[in-house]
Amino acid sequence: MEVLHEVSVELDTGEIVTIIGPNGAGKSTLMKTIFGLLKPTGGKILFDGKNITGLPPDQIVRLGMAYVPQVDNVFPSLTAQENLEMGAFILTRNFSDRMDDIYGLFPLLKERKRQRVGRMSGGERQMVAMGRALMLNPKLILLDEPSTALAPNLAAMIFDRITAINQTGVAILIVEQNAKESLRLSDRGYVLASGRKRFEDTGKNLLTNKEIGELYLGG
Amino acid sequence: MGTLSRIPQLIVYGVISGSIISLGGIGVSLTYSILGFSNFAHGDIMALGAYICLGVFALFTGLGLGNTPIGPLSFGFSFVLSFVLALALTALAVIVIDRILFKHLRKAGSIILMMASIGLALGLRNILQFFWGPQPHYYIEKIQVASVIPALGIRIKPDQVFIIVLAVALVVLVHCFLQYTKMGKAMRASADNIALARVTGINTDRVILWTWVIGGALAATAGILTGIENKFITPELGWQMLLSVFAAVILGGLGNPYGAILGGMIIGLSEEVSTAFISTGYKPAVAFAIMIIMLLVRPTGLLGRRK
Repeated sequence: MEVLHEVSVELDTGEIVTIIGPNGAGKSTLMKTIFGLLKPTGGKILFDGKNITGLPPDQIVRLGMAYVPQVDNVFPSLTAQENLEMGAFILTRNFSDRMDDIYGLFPLLKERKRQRVGRMSGGERQMVAMGRALMLNPKLILLDEPSTALAPNLAAMIFDRITAINQTGVAILIVEQNAKESLRLSDRGYVLASGRKRFEDTGKNLLTNKEIGELYLGG
Repeated sequence: MGTLSRIPQLIVYGVISGSIISLGGIGVSLTYSILGFSNFAHGDIMALGAYICLGVFALFTGLGLGNTPIGPLSFGFSFVLSFVLALALTALAVIVIDRILFKHLRKAGSIILMMASIGLALGLRNILQFFWGPQPHYYIEKIQVASVIPALGIRIKPDQVFIIVLAVALVVLVHCFLQYTKMGKAMRASADNIALARVTGINTDRVILWTWVIGGALAATAGILTGIENKFITPELGWQMLLSVFAAVILGGLGNPYGAILGGMIIGLSEEVSTAFISTGYKPAVAFAIMIIMLLVRPTGLLGRRK
């Protein structure tokens, strides 16, 4: 079944872009397609000027893109530190400097590095998942609903960290269902509904757009 | 001799049998968690290892390689060499089997893989029977005298000490591999979530290869140790142990190799100690009963993960 129809989105280097839309709009499908987990029936996916359509995820990772799924995005029986090590699996060089960078972004993970992730809270798991995805120093990171399962204060903390990650030069594509917070920190945003692109504007304009507010941001 | 006074000796037998069951169980557990199916051929892979060892040992003996016993053990250097070679050859054999059989079925799902493993089990057993016949074969026919430890009220043979020491050493080795090496960690990660492992960039093909190498080599060890303990091997050896191995894996928690070790010990001890009270013919029933009770009371097993 075709879920997405003629959807065209783009990200510039270092941008944060949010895709919002109701349940079933095709947001997660779009992410999975970009990352090679699903094969598009038509169209092209370009990354850094290279056509990556049809490439498997393990090759896309090597090109500098990382993906954080919405659920099951950590290895629960591994410790926080081991999760980060797995993120660097394809590296043969020493990556302790990179791990220090990530502990700098998420100091809490350093404190808990020997704890098994299965025993951590939702917010901590999300940090582990994002840290794991950052280990290869990607140019682009795809975040599927990073705040959905979290309490408001934890969600705010995660968005704060997303901004911090972006400031290190990483482009970020977020899909969110409850998207006010996400649009606030985004350079641009798209509204997806029923598998089609409905709106496209700066984050700020989408937030203040009355129609979008009523239809997609809960008034 | 009274029933209770027999128990220390039965505990010795239980630890020996538990060591062997644990080694078999680790492989079943790893295959289940990483490849996603219950490998019913694992018992027959144990038998395959035992027969490869027999074949290599016969070849060495035919070449005139001496087998002067090492210290108090019943076997010598040429048998040890056959043992080590059999582990490598069994690992190689299961990799070839994976390439020919399981690799093509991975997308078909766990039920198909499990059915294929039952076919493989029958195939392997019949191949062994075809080449070596159904009759027992002996590694070393000499009878070993057991040493008595009066303080503990037990008798134990040097070969049995060897079995326990080797099993403990291998368990420690597997533990260190899983905890401290990059590939070991990747195996645990893949056991948690192989789809996430793939999107993380972990080479899951190599993880699967290592799963077979470790599972196959440990299965061969279990088979050969069974041969050392029983003094003989038959093509049915692995199949007969499969129930105990699966009971151990389920008891410990499917998919957790540490659970398989714990479960193996409990099953081995229960089976042997039960013979103080009921007929030895009920040993498999004891394993089966423990498995059923565990499935009813706590299906995730002693160390199983909550999903």
